[in-house]
Amino acid sequence: MGWLPMRSKSKNNKTLTAILLIAPFIVCYLVVFAYPVYKMFAMSFTDAPLIGEGDWVGLENYVRMFQHKLFYTSVYNTLYFVGLTVVPNTLIGLGIAMMIVRLNGMVQAGILILFFMPYILPVTVVTQIWQWVLDQQFGVAQPLIEAVTGKRISVFRDPLWAMPMVALVTIWWTNGFNVLLFISALRNIPQDYYEAASLDGASRFQQFRRITWPLLWPVTALVLTLQLILQLKIFDQIYLMTQGGPFNSTYVLLQLVYREAFGRNQGGYASAVAVALFVLIVIVSVLQYQLLKARGKS
Amino acid sequence: MKTAIKAALSAAILFGSAFSASAKTDITWWDFLAGGDGVRMKALIKEFNETHPDIQINATTLEWGTPFYTKVQTATAVGQQPDIMTYHLSRFPLAVPQGVLRPITDAELSEAGLSADDYFESSFDAAKVDDKLYGIPFDIHSIVLYYNKDALAKAGLLGDDGKPKGLEGLENFNAALAKLKESGSEIPLSLHTDEGGSMWRVFYTLLSQQGGKFMDGDEILPGDEGLKALKAMTNWVSSGYSPELISYEASIALFTSGRAAMHINGVWEVPTMKDLAASGDLGFEWGAVQIPVLMGKPATWADSHAFAIPNSEENPVSPEKVKAVLEIIAWLNDHSLAWAEAGHIPAYKPVAQSTEFKEMEPNATYSSLADTAVFDPQSPIAGVAGPIYEATQNFIVPALNGQLDPEEALEMVRDELKNANMN
Amino acid sequence: MGNMKTGNILLLTFTVIAACAWAFPLYWAIVTSIKPEADVVAGTTFLPETIDLSSYVWALLETNIVRWYINSIGTSVLITVVVIMISMMCGYALSQIVFPGRRALFLIVLASFMVPSQALVVSQFILMHKFGMVDSWAGIILPQVIIPVVVIVYKQFFDSVPRELREAAKLDGCSEFQILFKLYLPLNWGITAALSIITFIMSWNNFLWPFLVITSEEMMTITVGITQVGDAFGVKYARDMAIAVMAAMPVAIAYLIFQRRVTQAIMLSSGIKG
Repeated sequence: MGWLPMRSKSKNNKTLTAILLIAPFIVCYLVVFAYPVYKMFAMSFTDAPLIGEGDWVGLENYVRMFQHKLFYTSVYNTLYFVGLTVVPNTLIGLGIAMMIVRLNGMVQAGILILFFMPYILPVTVVTQIWQWVLDQQFGVAQPLIEAVTGKRISVFRDPLWAMPMVALVTIWWTNGFNVLLFISALRNIPQDYYEAASLDGASRFQQFRRITWPLLWPVTALVLTLQLILQLKIFDQIYLMTQGGPFNSTYVLLQLVYREAFGRNQGGYASAVAVALFVLIVIVSVLQYQLLKARGKS
Repeated sequence: MKTAIKAALSAAILFGSAFSASAKTDITWWDFLAGGDGVRMKALIKEFNETHPDIQINATTLEWGTPFYTKVQTATAVGQQPDIMTYHLSRFPLAVPQGVLRPITDAELSEAGLSADDYFESSFDAAKVDDKLYGIPFDIHSIVLYYNKDALAKAGLLGDDGKPKGLEGLENFNAALAKLKESGSEIPLSLHTDEGGSMWRVFYTLLSQQGGKFMDGDEILPGDEGLKALKAMTNWVSSGYSPELISYEASIALFTSGRAAMHINGVWEVPTMKDLAASGDLGFEWGAVQIPVLMGKPATWADSHAFAIPNSEENPVSPEKVKAVLEIIAWLNDHSLAWAEAGHIPAYKPVAQSTEFKEMEPNATYSSLADTAVFDPQSPIAGVAGPIYEATQNFIVPALNGQLDPEEALEMVRDELKNANMN
Repeated sequence: MGNMKTGNILLLTFTVIAACAWAFPLYWAIVTSIKPEADVVAGTTFLPETIDLSSYVWALLETNIVRWYINSIGTSVLITVVVIMISMMCGYALSQIVFPGRRALFLIVLASFMVPSQALVVSQFILMHKFGMVDSWAGIILPQVIIPVVVIVYKQFFDSVPRELREAAKLDGCSEFQILFKLYLPLNWGITAALSIITFIMSWNNFLWPFLVITSEEMMTITVGITQVGDAFGVKYARDMAIAVMAAMPVAIAYLIFQRRVTQAIMLSSGIKG
């Protein structure tokens, strides 16, 4: 009966090896991910400043949050921004991808680089470039704006223009990602489908509607979902270009978290807002997933 | 073995610290001075470093306004604060309760050879909260009226002394603006109309000229002086005398290119005008005067750059560094004539009352404003990057640009600031 | 047939124009950076009349940009190395070893996709302060080493390594570590390269976290640093563009050289194979 202990020994060895392999990741995960998540929730129930301890205040921060006008403004602006970016960014990405797949060789590679390059750049480089392009005095885009509206506009200081401009810059910056995904999805559609359809006399538009769009749907849904989650988390572009102004028209949820934690030294309240954002993202993602799944089935 | 290592380490540390006591002190310096201010301060720092081998200033310039003050707050909270920083006096009532500033004792002050008598009383008092001194004023800076002598002469608004005439009183001023427009000036009065800070300064000036107060106890903008001031400004924009929603650089460029006859801006743009005139790029004769009395009595908004020592419980600044910092401040005060070339008025009386300063132009022309300068209300909601600046950005600026009714705007300002301390 | 050809040519022309318009801001930034400042504001010329590199010289000599490069390179490389190492080991264990809690770990990693890392910055900041790591490389690096998707991708690729190879190695008496490093990893250099490059690029480009955790100019990464340089006198557009170009150079070049890998990494991290 000597083999029993040997089997459990090798099983123990296996577990030990597994632990050694996953330990570094687990340790880091617990320290810089899991613990901060816990801390975020825990802190939201205290009145702690940024650094230091606070007293338990129960739901007071949340009550305050729901009475805080700026909170609702932030939620509204965040959703407004999402509305301005998610769908347009997806459609533009699809359009560009459709143009690129028709090309070949070096031309295709070159064109792809031109469209994709912005995605590779740091956000600060992107905002610096666009602030220069849109500069009211010397920006190269101002003559265009003047032609359309009759005057040069300080776009990031104008409550009507600020958010759309931030959306424009964001789309320019992140679109490349969508283009890549759509290109690969388009390439996966067998050419024979199109050949058969055009033999049947279907127009380009009909081919798109009947073949391309339905077959693309899984990737389209994926892109929409990824975009939605990404844009809900916006902070960098707003902070760098408008700081939440003008007239609070670009004030988003993360901006509020930042201000409360680092500007107003209210760690507890900032955590409550962070929890609100977290919950919002989870709810929206789940909802959207269900919605897209249902639509996909029909 | 262990004890031997411990002993060696302690000896090394002792030896090291004894050694470093005679070596130089490195002082970390944070400021928000850019443009002409930045250039001159850097020159001053360079001169100090060259003449003081035992104290070296490592200076960093951060973005003016909210970014600077947020960084200071965070850094002090985690014990990573600089040893000395520039700080607006208007913000002291907000900063002191937050515990961001370290008080300077009388003993430390006198050891550096400084005393309260050396400074203008209003400035020095503004640096005190609850009788404790939290910073040392360096300058008084204000807004002035820059004017194009040629354009004004063309409209018959230039006196024989080269100074503007006929601008006193709001009605006369508005008539003058109309005349300027008729005589060919595209923009009679250039203002930086897209930002709260700049517009606050003009608004507060007009408010104070009427004898109005921004805050009376708990009440915000009591009376109708606020409305009158705002309406005067909105009128300039809606009549086409001032540009709508224009950026800082653009508002200056309008003046320097000759398209605007007058421009209200801070004294810190004096070097810009001087340099352009010197290099022959200006194209006209320029001058700067105190803001005319438009609505009652003389008054001009003013604020002050002060030097302060950040306060951190976690990592308090050492006494040696405090000594070094005060030495730096004393030296800078003695050399504040160079700073005055950036357009400012030194807060240090020995320099401000010296003949060299009294002869400095255009400072001499407008330094009379110091007598009637009005500082921001002494309140935690006031000061650069404070709630009042934010409220101005959010409500007064849109009102100026015709996006919001002036009366509504002021109501919203009152609402917002009433809740400022709660949220 | 003739119609289709003109249609194609039209489409090609349109595509080229669209691509040039799209990339125009990049061109404009580079052109602005090599013009003399006076030319920048004097009038708009689409080609520089004189080429002036003084903005770059200024950036190198008068700003801390060299220091920032060092910080960026150092932290990005370290983050990449740590991420790849710990994710690869964890992905391997999830793929090849049956151990208690395996399924739970997999689900936890998947679930963390939903958590927005930006919402955690306040707690992470407090944590770094507790460790005394504020304003240091460690502080920059630590919160950036957890990238769940890399674990998932490694697991997927390790899953598709043929079983026979593993059996053979086991028969030879190799330990799991040897199998991982001598067999599985070499078989997957491709995705390791792809994931490394994309991780490097992402950490180079990261703004929010380094911006929060760094308090002194010497410690800034270049992505953060270029927004802090606001102290030039007078017009400074060429200089602004010069430092922006310098900040973008390394990642742009990395992309141009490793296009295929970058594309692959992006596809993989979105859950799309091929």
